[in-house]
Amino acid sequence: MNRAWTRWVPAAAVPAVIAAGVLAGSIPARAGDPLPDKSPAQILTLLGGHRTTGFSGTVEQVSDLGLPELPAVGPTSGPASAGGTASLLDVLTGAHTARIYVDGPARLRVQVLDRLAERDVIRRDQDVWFYNSKDNSAAHLTLPGFASDLPLPVPPDPAGLPAPDAPNPPAPDMRMPVPPTPADLAETFLAMAEDSTAVTVGPEVQVAGRPAYSLELAPRTDGTLLEKVAIAVDGQTGMPLRVTVRARGQAQPAFEAGFTSLSLDAPDDGLFTFVPPPGATVKELQVPPMPYRPGMPTLPGGPGMVMPDHMPGDVNELRHADKPGPSVTGTGWETVIGFPAPPDGQGAQLTDTILKDPFLSQAAVVVPGGRLLSTSLVNVLLTDDGRIFVGMVPADRLQAAAGAA
Amino acid sequence: MPSSATPSELEQPNDAEKPSDSEQPGRGSPAVSVPGRRGGSVRAVPAGASSLSLLASELATLFRRRRTMAMLVALAAIPVLIAVAVRLSSAVPPGRGPAFLDRISQNGLFVAVTAMLVSVPLFLPLTIGVVAGDTIAGEASLGTLRYLLVAPAGRVRLLLVKYAGALAFCLAAPITVALAGAAIGASLFPIGPVTLLSGDVVQPPEAALRLLLIAAYLAVSLAGLSAIGLFLSTMTVVPVGAMAATVVVSVASQIADQLPQLEWLHPWLFTHFWFGFADVLRQPVLWDSFASNALLQAGYIAVFGALAYARFVTRDILS
Amino acid sequence: MTAPGSTAAGLTIETQGLTKRFGHQVAVDNVDLAVPHGAVFGFLGPNGSGKTTTIRMLLGLAAASAGTVSVLGQPMPQGLHEVLPRVGALVEGPAFYPFLSGTANLHRFDAASRHGPPATRKARVAAALERVGLSHAAGKRVHAYSLGMKQRLGIANALLSPRDLLVLDEPTNGLDPQGTREVRSLVRSLAADGATVFVSSHLLAEVEQICTHAAIMSAGKLVAQGPLAELRQAGDTRIRLLTPDAGTACEVLLRLGMTPGKGTHEPDGEVLTAVAAASSVAPPEDIVAGLVAAGVRVRGFSVERESLEDRFVALTGEGFDVAQ
Repeated sequence: MNRAWTRWVPAAAVPAVIAAGVLAGSIPARAGDPLPDKSPAQILTLLGGHRTTGFSGTVEQVSDLGLPELPAVGPTSGPASAGGTASLLDVLTGAHTARIYVDGPARLRVQVLDRLAERDVIRRDQDVWFYNSKDNSAAHLTLPGFASDLPLPVPPDPAGLPAPDAPNPPAPDMRMPVPPTPADLAETFLAMAEDSTAVTVGPEVQVAGRPAYSLELAPRTDGTLLEKVAIAVDGQTGMPLRVTVRARGQAQPAFEAGFTSLSLDAPDDGLFTFVPPPGATVKELQVPPMPYRPGMPTLPGGPGMVMPDHMPGDVNELRHADKPGPSVTGTGWETVIGFPAPPDGQGAQLTDTILKDPFLSQAAVVVPGGRLLSTSLVNVLLTDDGRIFVGMVPADRLQAAAGAA
Repeated sequence: MPSSATPSELEQPNDAEKPSDSEQPGRGSPAVSVPGRRGGSVRAVPAGASSLSLLASELATLFRRRRTMAMLVALAAIPVLIAVAVRLSSAVPPGRGPAFLDRISQNGLFVAVTAMLVSVPLFLPLTIGVVAGDTIAGEASLGTLRYLLVAPAGRVRLLLVKYAGALAFCLAAPITVALAGAAIGASLFPIGPVTLLSGDVVQPPEAALRLLLIAAYLAVSLAGLSAIGLFLSTMTVVPVGAMAATVVVSVASQIADQLPQLEWLHPWLFTHFWFGFADVLRQPVLWDSFASNALLQAGYIAVFGALAYARFVTRDILS
Repeated sequence: MTAPGSTAAGLTIETQGLTKRFGHQVAVDNVDLAVPHGAVFGFLGPNGSGKTTTIRMLLGLAAASAGTVSVLGQPMPQGLHEVLPRVGALVEGPAFYPFLSGTANLHRFDAASRHGPPATRKARVAAALERVGLSHAAGKRVHAYSLGMKQRLGIANALLSPRDLLVLDEPTNGLDPQGTREVRSLVRSLAADGATVFVSSHLLAEVEQICTHAAIMSAGKLVAQGPLAELRQAGDTRIRLLTPDAGTACEVLLRLGMTPGKGTHEPDGEVLTAVAAASSVAPPEDIVAGLVAAGVRVRGFSVERESLEDRFVALTGEGFDVAQ
């Protein structure tokens, strides 16, 4: 059968066609004309002036901070049920998808799509509901009046941010590692655009099928782990569509959150109505006393920096009213924040407590003078006497700061 | 040969002409006589109708088979087992065991969901492996393959019909689990509005629709595995080998999907979206995974369909 | 026969240089078959001589390693879809779904064909079952059939539609003498209807009485082929001579164009056998006259025409030898 081989042609052609299709698909399709050229300042204006108040979309967040990963196993509901550190870790490693529905400043719904489970935050005016399908629990919060002035969209919990410098927060039940919307992160990073940072415009990108400007912020110093932050700004509306944070020496972004699909139509109003399902355990939450800005990540350096006493909830435990505040060494991207040890020689005890956490004890390596929790973007040094040094700098800088203090 | 037999055998033609013997083939029996061939050409029944006829025959052969029925019964036993176990035991604490297990005692419809969830990793692939692995290899081992081909069924047509039969089973299997689950759930537990993953509540009719959607999702999920089984089935005349290989492939793919080291491979594994059926239980329904899954499965069908075609049309049927 | 595309020679089956290799093993070696229209063609050979492999290639089940096949005037396997509906086949024994009834099995195979009109399927299946005498067991599962019943069902399957050619591979296998006779008469009636019948068997006697033509396979090679009468003619003639004068007799026989074998001693003298091709042998009376004239004391003389069976055995080896 000299013709037999021709029968195998489809078997070879089909994978080739699929490979070609995948390659073609990975090259962003040009939709329409290229965007008009804009300077960084113009893009910032576009970004600052965006008036998108109603939209729905899917956000994907990927973190690759070089932390060990917990494999998702079997048909169970994923690792987020494991508790405090795990839920934080859940955000710091791997990928997450959330659907976000926003209609005006006071109507919001965020659905974190877990494996076989979902965590929801629903806000309609002053009412905020939290729902976790895993244990069928709901919680309700009535916001005080000022809260409605908050610019939206804002996820109500900062645990979704890369904040490894908040060591082992004993997360409350309703702690929601919600991937932040691009708007939050863009704001934060833009606020830091100062002398220390080179702000440029990169090649046009496609995000969620929309042409977008790429605003790139790169530190002017080599003394930081951060290499570049890229913000994709929708060419049409000025809405931030994606934020990418790259660490030095790492091919994959250390952190990326962006829309994979986006519709600018106002979502169905019914989405913002939540009634606790039958059988759910419902808890009433108290409004935190301080109107802190949720969603504000704790980034050292820039003007947008949030001081530790503004940090939410649990971090306050580390703060002692009778002790001096944290020390700051270095400037700009090279800033190192030092937290003093608790009084009365409880420092070692604190370190022990922190290291009792199975994940942290696994991730922290022993270095001269303490233990180092190292990620590709942020380093945390726990000294043997209980002090904590945090910075987006190489480990030796932290050790130097610890030695100098 | 004993030559003494010859004289009596020579009288055979005379015997044969005697119509008295009912077992004697009647010469020129109207229905079997040969006039039709004298036309010289063979008139085919319209292709669509004849293929439907073959498909109907394939489905009847598949589903009338005791083994197929036994597998469906075994699948139906999964929700029954779950429901009875939940009924007999004390309340399941939330967050323990398979997802949704704790909901069963409040709402019987969750028996169907839990049963489908539980049967995804092994039981469904097992039964699909048996059916898909048997498609060609089973016919080959029975020897019926050669008679189908000289009928002539046409190799491509037979392959398509065989695959269609396997797909029918892919649909029947999860629907069996869903229906059995809903039935046993309704009989042992209260039925009421169903809480979706998003915390929203839908009424039983819509919940039933979503159950069927899950079954459809699983049917799509299993289509790629069926194509793999079909291909493996063309490789051998030992059906058990093809069945086992198909099941092993599905398990291996699921294991690979768990390994972070193979993350680049995950979106290409045909099992990757198998648990994405939960997206049907969100409000609003998230169709992304349905679409991604369908696309992925279509890719597997194309690749392994082409391989099965190549293998089957070039193969010597020697069994 | 008016089949389209018939070759000028009027052959229903024609192969040229047909060869099938499995790895290094040659199962069918350069076979040139020629089956005339309307013939009842006996395809003979011991088990393992390549008959079934040849049939598989005739029916497009297996691809030839070399050579060409033409069936009903069409090249195979290219013309498979036009040829096979006109061919009824029983290949290497019957095979059925054991969990289906006889009727259901035939329905399935008929449904597999694009050419069996569904409207008449029921009637055709019933008629085919009737024709092989299986009507009484039609509803039983094949699982419960005896080998003979399966064989009959296999033949019924070949008769589902009007056929121009029937390929029956070992059709009497597993049948009792009564069944064997029925198959023979069935083949005759099919041939009488004008179909060409290609019957393979490893037993000559099974087909000898019904064949008009025959071919003999041995170890993958076609060793003889032609009308049965010609094959019979082609056999050798053997004389048997009892004489005390073996030496002289040998000379005489040699002179007459025969090849005497070595004698065996018997009380009355030596028994000589000599062989000559049937065409070249002298009349027996001339041989005896020649022997007597030379002074040979002829104490016994007989002429034996080789039977087709002898020839079959001579060509293929003894019955139980399975050709390699």
